[in-house]
Parts: sequence; structure tokens; C-alpha cells
Amino acid sequence: MTNPILMGAVAYDPKVVPIWDGIREYMKEAGPGMDYVLFSNYEAQVDALLSGFIDVAWNTNLAYVRAQRRTSGHCRALAMRDTDVDYCSVIVVRTDAGINTLADLRGRTLALGSRDSGHAAILPLYFLKRQDIDPQRDLKLMRFDLDVGKHGDTGASESAVLNAVASGQAEAGAVGDPFWAKALEERAVDGDKVRLLWTTPTYHHCNFTALDSIDESRTTPWVEALLKMDYNNPKHRPLLDMEGLKRWLPAQTEGYRTLFEAVEEQGIG
Amino acid sequence: MTRPITTKIKAQYYGEDLGASEGLLVAVARLLDPLAEGEALEVATENLSVPDDLRVWCRRAGHRFLNATRENGKSIILIERGFVRRTLADPPEWGVRMPRRGETVDMRDWQVGRHATIDEEAPIAGSLAPRGASIEEGAPTIEFSIRKRSDIWANAISELYEQATSSQWVGARDIPWQELAPLDEEVERAVCQIMTFLAENEYAALYVPARFIGQIHPHFTEAALFLSTVMVDEARHIEVFTKRALANGGGLGVASAATQLSLASLLEPKDFSTASFLLSVLGEGTFLDLLAFLEEHAPERATREICRRARQDETRHVRFGIAHAKYTIEADLSAARRFGSAVEARAEFLKSVSGVGALIEESLIIYSGGGMSPSSLRAGTKRVAQLYETMHANRVKRLAAAGFNSDQADHMSRLHTPNFM
Repeated sequence: MTNPILMGAVAYDPKVVPIWDGIREYMKEAGPGMDYVLFSNYEAQVDALLSGFIDVAWNTNLAYVRAQRRTSGHCRALAMRDTDVDYCSVIVVRTDAGINTLADLRGRTLALGSRDSGHAAILPLYFLKRQDIDPQRDLKLMRFDLDVGKHGDTGASESAVLNAVASGQAEAGAVGDPFWAKALEERAVDGDKVRLLWTTPTYHHCNFTALDSIDESRTTPWVEALLKMDYNNPKHRPLLDMEGLKRWLPAQTEGYRTLFEAVEEQGIG
Repeated sequence: MTRPITTKIKAQYYGEDLGASEGLLVAVARLLDPLAEGEALEVATENLSVPDDLRVWCRRAGHRFLNATRENGKSIILIERGFVRRTLADPPEWGVRMPRRGETVDMRDWQVGRHATIDEEAPIAGSLAPRGASIEEGAPTIEFSIRKRSDIWANAISELYEQATSSQWVGARDIPWQELAPLDEEVERAVCQIMTFLAENEYAALYVPARFIGQIHPHFTEAALFLSTVMVDEARHIEVFTKRALANGGGLGVASAATQLSLASLLEPKDFSTASFLLSVLGEGTFLDLLAFLEEHAPERATREICRRARQDETRHVRFGIAHAKYTIEADLSAARRFGSAVEARAEFLKSVSGVGALIEESLIIYSGGGMSPSSLRAGTKRVAQLYETMHANRVKRLAAAGFNSDQADHMSRLHTPNFM
């Protein structure tokens, strides 16, 4: 009898409880079983992973990068959401600001989400720099450091960014593409005020992280069961909708390279 | 080996300069819905943000953004439908058209499309959806205890429903209340007592269907809808009978223990068919004769109109009751025995009740005779005796119409409560 996986997740929203309760129930029926604990912030969760208190951490990209840096690469990504694979950041602009190219951003105010948000702060700056926009020299940054510790999961700082651009406080802003797609779908974007200017290259977002010392006989059945969840199954659909995916995929890791570099470059550690 | 792109463009949309959040996503989502996985939608747009917006949206919606090319100031975007079904349901119906009856669309003609299929037994997993709608997987299931057609159905039920809705009237407006004037005091007292008695009875007629309506599987929607009209009718009857008692210087009379006992026993049956048989065939049937009698001998026009309108409504309820009893007995002969036993049991339960009660009987005599003078009382007494005979004779006829032979009908009619309802 194997020892079921103990997973950690960060409680960024009340729905985190029904999500993992539901997946715990599913895992019980699917065979491998599991349990979970909640943390209030990713730093505590990474500590718990490294100390062996939890077996698997449901990590943001920044939490994954930090765990890898602290273990000198002795972590392993197990699985991720389909939506974590081609993640990108979106630069939105005030429609009437006369910004038609990235070069037009120079001298303007750029609103950013929480400083620990990979998608709404760290990576937008990293990618803009590679488009020859130096954040320090070329931009006035307006930071919304909300819910720090939750790595931008709550969306509160992205809402603040969008509001700042819509109200004219900032001429441009950075948000994650799921946040932008949701706002479009909910018709919460006034096209006369805010529009998309540019999308960054894609990168990976969250993954389930384990230490590479974990016995594969424990993780493999758990990952296999996860991959079997089906969006066209009415029992699974509400859980997957709440967690923001259509299907789980085996982990890919090449898409984290840019964040490793960004963390180094920006001295985030 | 390289494979050519074989994506089939199955739908196209030209969005002009419409923005993604300004409505374009509505068209995109709806046009992708009917495609098979792997088939593509081509969107043309003049809006510069739309290609990126759609690329980002495709990730969220589970579709594949294939490419965007620019030609002649337009972007042409190709989206391949993903594996995700937006709604876990069979496709909706299309091309269904009810026939018209002149200017109207009548429930009698709505057996079309999937709605036309009425099963003898509705599915155990019930839902609050019109019969024939495509119900999404994962919808909660609701249990309805009335899910056999013969437990609730009646022939011509759609016709009865249409009749009911087109015959609605307004208690405040459609009774000539303005003509009410002081009556002979004994006559007014009799009117008030009779109105009180009628209202009591109508509470039973309201609460009996109310107890069952929430148990009816919506598959048998015609029955649920018709019984709703019955409830509205009964509510209005309670309203006007009560108003009449209060409107002309008298007031509400006595609710006798015997009447209350008799009515309480109507709430006993646990199955709708038995409850409906006792209430509608026997009780409301008998009431038709009572209301006709009260209409004929009414002392003024408001009371006459109240009784006439109530009788018209009750005629429909009785027609339903008889048609339902007949339907049930034809589906299952043992139902006739069940109804017979219910009549016997009720008679046994009510054996302490020997008549309609002095208060009501005296009131009926004074009402129909026109007062308390010797000649009025003589006339009233005769009329009430005649009423009882008419009630018995008509009950026998109704029981025969429901499917009982004349001996059974006569026996059951005699066992029926002397309390009319």
C-alpha cells in the first residue's frame, strides 16, 4: 500500500477548497488517493516542499523557479494545465494614447501587477527589454503590489492595472493573457478606451513540483489519474472550470527558461 | 514526412471593425459550436487588436488559433475547433412549427417535435425543463413521485387548459357589487352562512391540488399547468365568497365541526387519483348542483353572478376529474376498486356526520324560499328536498361517465358525504 501524495496549494481564493476537495474525491475513486494542505503564500509552500512536509506543490512559475534555484535544480515538474503551456503577457494601452507600436511606449506610464507576479510584472519587463524598451530608462512604472505572496493569482493587481489604463491614470499596462481573455469574454473591456497592443512570447505558468528524490511509484499513478480527467465529463467539468483548464498535461519545462533569466536579471532571487 | 494542412474551413464570418469584447466573441463562439473537432472557422476583421485578442481567447476557450494573415487591410484568421463541447447536451431542435388555429396558437396543437413524445412513464431523473428540451449532462436530477402518465393524465387536458385560461375573470370587477343593497335580515344571514360554507369547501379544493402539483413530473406538463388554473380558480372563489359574506352588513358565519371534519378527510389520500376522485368527481360534482340551485334562487344579482361564474369554473374541474378517473381506470382496472374503497373508508370515517348540518340546511331553506314566512319556508323546504334528489341523480350520472356500472354508481353516490363536498 503506497503512501498517498500530500499536495500543497495556496489559498488565493475561497474556491480553492472546492477545487481540491473535488480532486481529492476524484483521486479517491481513481485509485491513488491524495490529500492536500493550504498555505497563505508561495514562499511558505516552497519551504514546506523543501523540508519534506508536502510531497507536491501546486506552484506558480515563480515558485517553481525559486524551488529549483534553492535545490540547485533538484526539483521535478510533474504536470501542468493546458493553459499553462502557451501562457503570455498582454500589453494593453489606452486607445486614445497614440501608442501604435512598442517604440511608442517610451516615455509613457506602464501599470504593472504585483511585483511577485510572473505574468503581470516580471516577465512583461523582461520581454519589453528584449524589444529594446528599458524599463528603468524608458518607462514610468506604476506598480500595484496587491496580495503579495500569492504571485498574482488573485487577479486583484491585474484588475487594478486594467482600471488604471481605462481611467487614464496609466497609458499602458501589463496583464496575463487569461485575465485579458476573460475580460473580453465578459465584455468587461471598453474597446473605445483600452485595446491590446502586443503579446509577449509564450512561457510556462504553473506546475506540480516535487523534489527529484520522490519515488516515481508514488507520483506516476497520481499524474496518470490527473491526465484522465475529462472536460466533457459533467462531474469533472466544474472542477476544471474553477481551476481554469480544459485538460491536464504532462509537465514541459523549456518554457521556464525566460523566467529563470528574468529573476536573475531583475535580482528577484 | 510533412503533411499538408488539411483543415477544412466550415464557417466564415466577416467582423468588420467589431472588437472582441464588443460582440465578436459571440459570433465566433456560436459559429464554432456546430463544427466538428478539427474543422475551422475563418474570421475576417479590420480591427487591429482582434487577431491577438482571438489568439488569447482561443487558449481560454480550448480552440486552436491556426494563423492570421493580412491582405488588403484585413486580417484573415483561421481557428480550428478544439475537443471541448461548450454545452454537454444534444443539439437543440430546429425546424419545428406548431400549426395555427386561425390567429391563435393552441396547446392542443403543441404535440410537435420532441415535445410530442409523451411517455407512459417519465424518467426517474426529473428536471425542471420543458418536455423535449435537450438537458445538459450534469444538471441536477429532481425526483418527482408522480411520473406515471395514468396517475395524472386526462384526455382533452390541453383543451381544458385553454378553456381555463381564456375563461379567467376578476373577482373585484366582474361581479355587480354596486347593486348590493340591504336584504331581509334572515335572508342576508342565510347568504352569509352559505358563503362561509362555500369558502370552507373551496379551501379544500385549493389545497388538494396544491399538495400534489409539486410532485408532478414536468414531463406531464399539461396536467401541472391545468391544475395550476384550478388553483387560481379556487383562489378566486374563496375571494368572492368571502367578499360576499363581508360586503352587505352580515359577516362570516360558522365553520361547523362536521363540515371541517368532512373537508379534512379530503386531504387524507396520498395518491392524486384517489384525492381527485373524491374531490372533483364526487365533491365538486355535487357542488355543481348546489351552485346551480344558489344561482337560481339568489336574492340579488351579485350573489347570482358569483354562483354562475363559480359553477362555470367548477364544471371544468369536474370534467377533468371524470376524465382523469376514466383514464386511470382504463389503464388499471384495480383503480376502480381503489376508488370504491376510498369512498367506503371516507363514509366510515364520517359516520358521525348525519347531514349537511342544521345551520346550512336551514340557511338553504330560507335562501331558496326567500325568507322565514310560512309560505317561504314551505317553498324552501320543498326546493331543498328536490336539490338532494338532483344531487344524487347527477352524481350517479357522473360516476357512470367515469366508468362505473349503475349499481356501483348508486351505491357510491349514497355513501358520499351528506356534507356535499
